[in-house]
Order: sequence, then C-alpha cells, then structure tokens
Amino acid sequence: MRVVTKALLRHLRRRRSLSLLQLLGIACGVAAAVGMALSAQVSLSSFEKAVEFLKGQATHSLERPAGPLEETVLTQLMVDPAVQAFSPVIDRRVRLNDGETIRLLGLDPFLDQKIRPQLIQSRPTETPLQARDSFAFFLDEKAILIDEQLAAQFRLQPDQLLETSRGKFKIIGAFPNASGEPIILIDIGHAQRLFEIPGKIDRVDLIVSDDADFRSRWESGFRIQSGRQRQATLRDMLQAFRLNLQALSLLALFVGIFLVYNTAMFTVVSRRKDAGILRSLGASRREILRAFFSEILLLGSIGGAMGGLAGFLLSRFLTNLVAGTISNLYFFLRPAPLEWSWSVLLISIVLGCGASILGGLFPLIELIRVDPVQVLRGRTAVRGRKGFAWKAALTGVGVLVISFVLFALAAVHVYFGFAGSFALLIGASLITAFVLVYLNPILKKFLPLLSGLPGKVAAGNIRQNLGRTAVAVAAFMVAISMSIGLSSMIGSFRQSLVWWMGTQLQADLFIGKIDEVEVPESFYDEVRTIPGLNGFDLYRNVQVLYKGKPIYVSSVEAAVLQKYTNFGWLKGGNENWEPVKKGGVIISESFYRRFGIKEGDTVTLEGVSGPASLKVAAIFYDYTSEHGVIMMDRSTYLRIFNDRAINTLGVFVNPQNSRRKELLEEVKRRAVQRGLPVYTRDQLWENILSVFDSTFAVTRSMQVLAIIVAFFGIAGALMTLFIERQREFGIYRALGFSTRQVASMTLMEGLGMGLVSFLMSTGVGTLLAWVLIRVINLRSFNWTIFFHPAWEPYVVAFGTAVLASLGAAIYPIWKVYKTYPQMQIREE
Amino acid sequence: MSTVIQVVDLWKQYDRIDQPNSAALRGANLDIKAGEVIALYGKSGSGKTTLLNILAGLDRPTKGRVSIEGNDLEALGEDGKTVLRRQRLGFVFQFFNLLPTLTAFENVFLSLELAGKPKHDLALKALESVDLKGKESRYPHELSGGEQQRVAIARAVVKEPAIILADEPTGNLDTRTGEQVLTLLTHRCREYGTTLIMATHSPLTCRFSDRILRMVDGIVVEETPCLETQS
Repeated sequence: MRVVTKALLRHLRRRRSLSLLQLLGIACGVAAAVGMALSAQVSLSSFEKAVEFLKGQATHSLERPAGPLEETVLTQLMVDPAVQAFSPVIDRRVRLNDGETIRLLGLDPFLDQKIRPQLIQSRPTETPLQARDSFAFFLDEKAILIDEQLAAQFRLQPDQLLETSRGKFKIIGAFPNASGEPIILIDIGHAQRLFEIPGKIDRVDLIVSDDADFRSRWESGFRIQSGRQRQATLRDMLQAFRLNLQALSLLALFVGIFLVYNTAMFTVVSRRKDAGILRSLGASRREILRAFFSEILLLGSIGGAMGGLAGFLLSRFLTNLVAGTISNLYFFLRPAPLEWSWSVLLISIVLGCGASILGGLFPLIELIRVDPVQVLRGRTAVRGRKGFAWKAALTGVGVLVISFVLFALAAVHVYFGFAGSFALLIGASLITAFVLVYLNPILKKFLPLLSGLPGKVAAGNIRQNLGRTAVAVAAFMVAISMSIGLSSMIGSFRQSLVWWMGTQLQADLFIGKIDEVEVPESFYDEVRTIPGLNGFDLYRNVQVLYKGKPIYVSSVEAAVLQKYTNFGWLKGGNENWEPVKKGGVIISESFYRRFGIKEGDTVTLEGVSGPASLKVAAIFYDYTSEHGVIMMDRSTYLRIFNDRAINTLGVFVNPQNSRRKELLEEVKRRAVQRGLPVYTRDQLWENILSVFDSTFAVTRSMQVLAIIVAFFGIAGALMTLFIERQREFGIYRALGFSTRQVASMTLMEGLGMGLVSFLMSTGVGTLLAWVLIRVINLRSFNWTIFFHPAWEPYVVAFGTAVLASLGAAIYPIWKVYKTYPQMQIREE
Repeated sequence: MSTVIQVVDLWKQYDRIDQPNSAALRGANLDIKAGEVIALYGKSGSGKTTLLNILAGLDRPTKGRVSIEGNDLEALGEDGKTVLRRQRLGFVFQFFNLLPTLTAFENVFLSLELAGKPKHDLALKALESVDLKGKESRYPHELSGGEQQRVAIARAVVKEPAIILADEPTGNLDTRTGEQVLTLLTHRCREYGTTLIMATHSPLTCRFSDRILRMVDGIVVEETPCLETQS
C-alpha cells in the first residue's frame, strides 16, 4: 500500500471513537434501508407464493361481480368447449379461539385434482389412515384436513378437534402448505351447509384453453380473471402502501447518508493538515483523492456489512409489522421468515459504500482543493466562515423554492411529492449554519444562565466551528423534524379517523366483522322482530373491479343512516341520501380523486344482469379504503348483484328509550348464542384505532432509528471538537479553567446544538407534517386528513433533543475528565 | 555557478475585508546560484514564508516571474509544480509537519515513494545520517522536537533534491538543538551541492549561511553580513 494511503487510513485506528461513530452511522442507515426493503420483499414474495400455491394449475377464475355464485353454472361449464377442467370453491375465513383468522377452503376433491394436484397427496384416500376414515372427508360434515404448519403450531394430531367460530372440526389428516397462510380444507357440500349458502359457491377455478372464446360466452354478469389479472389486482391493492414503505426506507437511508456526510466532514477537517503536508511534499490531488476514497470504501464496506447483518435481524421484526398491517388492511398475509443469504451482505456492502461515497463526496472535493499554504500556516478555513453560512443559506433558499415547485407537481405523480419532501429537508439543512450564526446571541445569553462562563465559551465555540456544528445540527434537525412531522401526521390522521367514525359508525351494536361474511340473514329476521329496536343497517362490503382497478362497493340501509348518522359530506348534508334511496349512489373522496368522478356523473358497474349505470348523488369523506368506495342502498345492491350476504348488522336504539340497555343486551345474547362477534360502538372504535396504531408501528420504528442515527451525529461533532481543540484546552488549563468547567463547556456545546436543532425542527417539522398530510397522503391514498395541531409531538421532540444531546456529550465529557488534567499547549 | 533560482519583481497581494490591497511581497527580486546556502532574514510578517511558498509552487504570485532551474514556474502548471516538489525540492518547516500516523521511517520513505525511488535502504541511510538510527519505528509523538526536525531534514534530503526550502527550521527548538540541526542541514547541503534557502528571524541561522538576504515589508532589501553582533 502506498504510504500516502497508509498515512490517511491510520487515522481510523488513531481516532477509534470517531471511526466507530462513523461505522455505526453508516450501519444504522443501511440497516434501516435493508430492514425495510427485506421485510417488504418477504411480505410481497410471500403473498405471490401464496397466490401461486392456491391458484395451482388454474388459468382463470369465474365469479359473480359481488357475492356468491349459483352452483348451477357448473353444469354449463361441464359442456363448455373452452373449459378443460374446473373446480368449485368456497373460500371463507373462520376464527380460532385465540382470535387468529384462518382460511377455510371448501373443495370437491375429485374436481380439484386437476386444479391443485399439489394437494392430491393429502386426499383422504391417499392418507395412511384406516379405510373408514378415508371416507370421513365426504361423510362427516365436521371433517377437515389441516395444513402441517397449523397442526404443528397447535400440536394437533388426526382425530383431534379444532375449535373455531363455526364450531369444532375433526382433523382427519394434514397437508403440506407452501403458501404460508394457515388453511383448512373441507368438503364443499359441508362448507355450503356450514355457511348457510345452499346451492351457492364463491367461485370456480378453471383451466381454460381459449381465453377469448370463453369470455365471449361468460363475460356478461360474471367476473372472469386470469391468474395474472388476479395477481395484478392484489398487487394494485398494495401499491400505495408499498410506495410509502419505500419512501420510509429511503428516508432512513437519507438520514444515514447525512450522518456519513457529517462524519466525513469531520474526517476532512482532521486530515486537512495532512493533506496540506502531502501536497507540499509533492503528492498530487489524485493521490490524496485515492487515499481518502480508500478510507470511504473501507468504512462503507465494514459499516455496510454491519448494517446488512443488523438489517437482516431488523427485517424479522419489521416483517411481522408489515405483514400484520397488510393483513389488517388488505388481505391476509403470513410470510415465512427470511432465510439468510450472502447476497444480503453483498448488497449491504454496496449500499454502505454508495452511502459513504455520496455522503463523502463534498467533503472529498473540499479535501482535494485544500490550500496547503493556509493549512500549513495553521489557519483552518472552517472557523468563522461567515461567508460560507450566507452562501449555504442562499443555496438552501433556492432548494426550498424547488421543493415547493415539486409539491405543486405532486398532482402529476406522488413521486414529486416525495422528492419535494427530501428537497425540503436538504434546503432546511443548508440554512442551518446561517441559523446558528443568527441565534448565537441568544445562545450566548441562555447558556451562561445554565452554567456561567463555560456556557458563554460554549456558545462562542458553536459559532466558531460552523464546519462541524452546522452539519451535526442539520442532521439532528432532520431527524427531529421527521419525528415531529410523522407524529403530527399520525396524530392528525388519528383525530380525523375519530371524527370519521363519529360521522359514520353510529350504531349502538355492530354484529359481525367487516372482512368476513358473518351474519346470516336468518339472524336479522330474528332480531328485527324484537319490539323497541329503531333501526338496522345491513352492511355489505365487497371488492369489485371498476375500469380494471379494484374498488369497494358498500351496501347500506340509506333511510336508517340518514336518520342516525351525520356523514362527512364534501358538499351538502344528509339530504344527499334522498337520491340514494331512489337508486343513486354516493362515492368516497378516494373514489372521486382516483377516477375524477363528481356529483351528477354516472358510474357503470358490472352486475349479474350486465352493466348497471348509477348516478352519483354526493361525495363523502371516508377512510375505509384508499381504492375508493361506491355506496348504495341495499335495494339497489340486491337489484344489481343479487347478493344477500351481510358483513355486519348495525343495531340502532333511540337514546331516549327507557329499555335501551335491556334491548341491546337481548340482541347481544342472541348474537352470542349464534357464535356471532358483537361490538358496542365504543369497542368497534377501539378496535379500529388499535388497527390504526399497529399500522403505524413501522413508521414509528423508522422514527426511532432516525433519532439514533442523528444522535451519532451530535456525538461525532462533540468528539471531533474535543479532539481538534486539544491546543485550546491546553490554553484553558493555562488560564485556570477547572476540569469541571471544561466538562460543563462540552455539555453546553452539546445542549446548545440540541436546542438549536429543536428550534429549527419546530418549523421544519410542522411544514413536513403539512406536506405529509396535504401532499403525500392526499396523492398516495386520495383522502383528506384534517390537520389537528397538537403539542405532544413538540414536547416529545424537545425531550428527545435535550436527552440525546446530553447523552451524546457523555463520552466526550468522560474523555475530558480523563485527559484534561494532563493537557498542555503543544504544537505537535 | 549557474543560477538555480531567479525571482523578478515578485508581488503577492491579498484582498482581505479588514485589509484591502495588503501585499506580502512588493516587487521582490532574487538571484540564487546552485549550491548556495542563503538565509532570508526578516521579522515576522516581512514576507519570507510567502516567498518560500511561491518558490515551492504552493502559492501563486499576483505579479512577477519565478524561474527554477531555468523553468518558468507558472508555465509548469499544477502538475508540473507537483513534479517539481516531488523531485527537485525539499521542504523543512518550523513545526516539523511530520505525518502523525507514520513512523519516522515511513515519513522519510514517503518522500522516496513520491519521487518514484521507493528504496528502503535509502530511507534507512537518511535516518542514520541524521543520527536517528534505532528510532525508525517511532511515531512523531514519541520523538523530541529536535528528533522530529531531524526526521524532517532526512525526509527533505533523502531524494537528493536540487533545492531545499527551510521555513524557520529552528523556530521551535532551543538554541543548542537548533545549532545541531543547522549544522546537520547545512553540512548535508554543502556535501551534495544542494541549494539551501532558510527563512529565519534568528541571527543564529546567519552564521551558517553563505549569504544573508534581508527582507523588509515584502522586499528583499539588501545583502547583509551576519547580524548576530548587531542584535
């Protein structure tokens, strides 16, 4: 190795603490990005694997636009020339005692042989059971096959019982399940009886030889999806969610790169003199560049590798969060844990090196342009740097203007919004030095109040070492702003959600669950006869395709909702229900923004009798789905889809009714008797908020990581200030400063930087919150979140800033106590 | 003896906010023959260091001409000046300026590596010639001031440069050590016919020089005899 390179690289060993900080910063940034990327990848590949497994050999699926299908279609399919094989399916969910939801597939084992041959080994006739048990699948209406993972999870053996919300099932065998999703198989006839849908099935999976030919006969009144279309539909549903996950991981990497820039700046500062000496000895700029580049790559590789390992471990935690969110909001997902692969390490190293190069680029340019004359004279150009602060601030203002332009362009695509957010953070970072100069007189008054003369000196040191302090403050400010911005957005969203629930979810009792077909019509027939109950909302929610994109259709009792709820309308009031009672529809804000449909426009849905055109009466605020909701009266729904299923039954009782409590108890009792889930209004709201809170668990973990990364920034700045000012400390000692005073000065430097970071982040974080609410969320999910300013995020941010900056000062203070008593004024 | 350094009407002006149009050099002229040992004598701020930095190609003059071994310095360009510093110039500083992460041997070897002559034995011999045999593996912070300056001298002389520029070589040393260092440096230069220019405000340095050029306010005023008795 060339001695020039050796000269620079050995600094890493000499300044172990700084090198470690730099490594940890890179590692944290890479870990966050890798963790997020891996967990998203695992979740999505699990989902694709699950879809593939369950699809089997089927090329198409046939179902009604909404609701179950009559089994009489099977006779027609039997003679259809384009159909090579078909298998009717009942695809439902049941709940176990612990609340976990599992998939129940009702199949005809003989017809299903050609569609899902991978299940053939688990056919009753193939299991190593007694002959009588082989027929149990057909004869015993409670006989099921269970997937091997589920059996292992609950330690279940053949002949044992599995308790579910639909009663107890007898296990007669197990089958291997590559989908990862817990599944039980039951004979389709028994499934029809179980779910009280005699003569009906959910869909038919088919092997079709001629797509066009088949569609020509079956397109009207049915929904036909090829395997690819089905996968695309499911992927579409996750699009906005995936986008925001990607943005989160990029944000984490951005903070990581910032930290690398931070520590690379410190590196440059400490190498400045060496670079000057080397230039005076005849080293070319290229050689210095090469040497510093080696250092960047070395740190990037090691930090990246560390980050890769940490990211892999983090992904296991994040995968559960991501999968949980997808399961709560979209469709069930239980991803298999990620297996270790050396490619993770390789990619992490590349990422770490990339982050290092990006973060070290400007410091590197500065290093190779170092003026040897200035350096050898002992003048460090970073000190003071008033001109630099102005120039950076002007550039920052320019970048901020660009960010606002990008926000305006977010209407074209949400990527512009994300780019604008990054530009906002970069622009604000560039202004930091100017803010430090501007706020310095305030620090000079405030810090001495806390610690006297050391505080005054500390304020001056922050100002005089802008090259170090500005970058550290900027990194910390970015992290705290993210914390304020995300917390404010989540808080506003939560408040908006509470408001929305207050507009729509007003029933006294909710029976059933929105994502399950739970409530039999016979139960409704039973409870409606109870005198004293004022209203029932039979709620149905189904996913359909509109212009090839998944949306939701909801059916409600318009008259009841008009009386008992107060929907949040974009225009008008409850008079908007009148057209709905007569066959019109209302649409959610997401639908309106996604498809550009307004009041007075017409939407066409594919029903059982062909296309049905419906007039849009009004638009309402809604957070049920970002894909959009078309809501109609049940009579309209039945006319179009002929689907009598009920997802939830809402029960309304007049608040003035003296028998109110008794009536509700009676309904509850009857529901429980039937094994139906029952929620009071408060319980339902609580469940929804609980799902909401768990949805943002991923976001919160990224917030924490960003704070940790920025903490290293402040720690690095304080360490560098300590290391480089040894001569100054010698002067302090000669002048009579005690060790405690110098330690206090270091503490005040940390606190001062933390406070300035916090002050800047109040503005930047608030702006970021506004952007997240009004731009990102609006463009990603097509819904309006109302800004509810709250004080909690700012208090938490203040606490974080103070604690983190004090914590970052601990090690430098320890070094002061250890080394200060021996310090003298020495040139070398 | 041929002229090895020629400086004609050299100016270096700075535009500082607090000192507009201040000049470190105001038309300095110099003519130095090969093998001469020159003391550039003047008070602090007289322009000595600025002149040395320009001669080394580290700084650029505002006006004037510098030629080193017959080559116009400005015409060499940045790459040419780098080659000049590698192969034809040695530099000795007041504050030694050894690389703290390299041992004494490595600091000297660095010079050879840059000059394209990476021979270990040359570095070892150079250290031996400055009486530092046995201390090759010590880091600068493990050496005294005088030892560090001797390493710096070894680093400067090991590549057998045509010219050595020494900026206050004894400025950070006690008198006795300073004398030892000057003896070593001047003896080595005279032995190899190396031109030595020493910027100094110490009369001690003058005793070792062939010529003493006095600098006042950015101008080489006069050639003067040794000022030791006068100070």
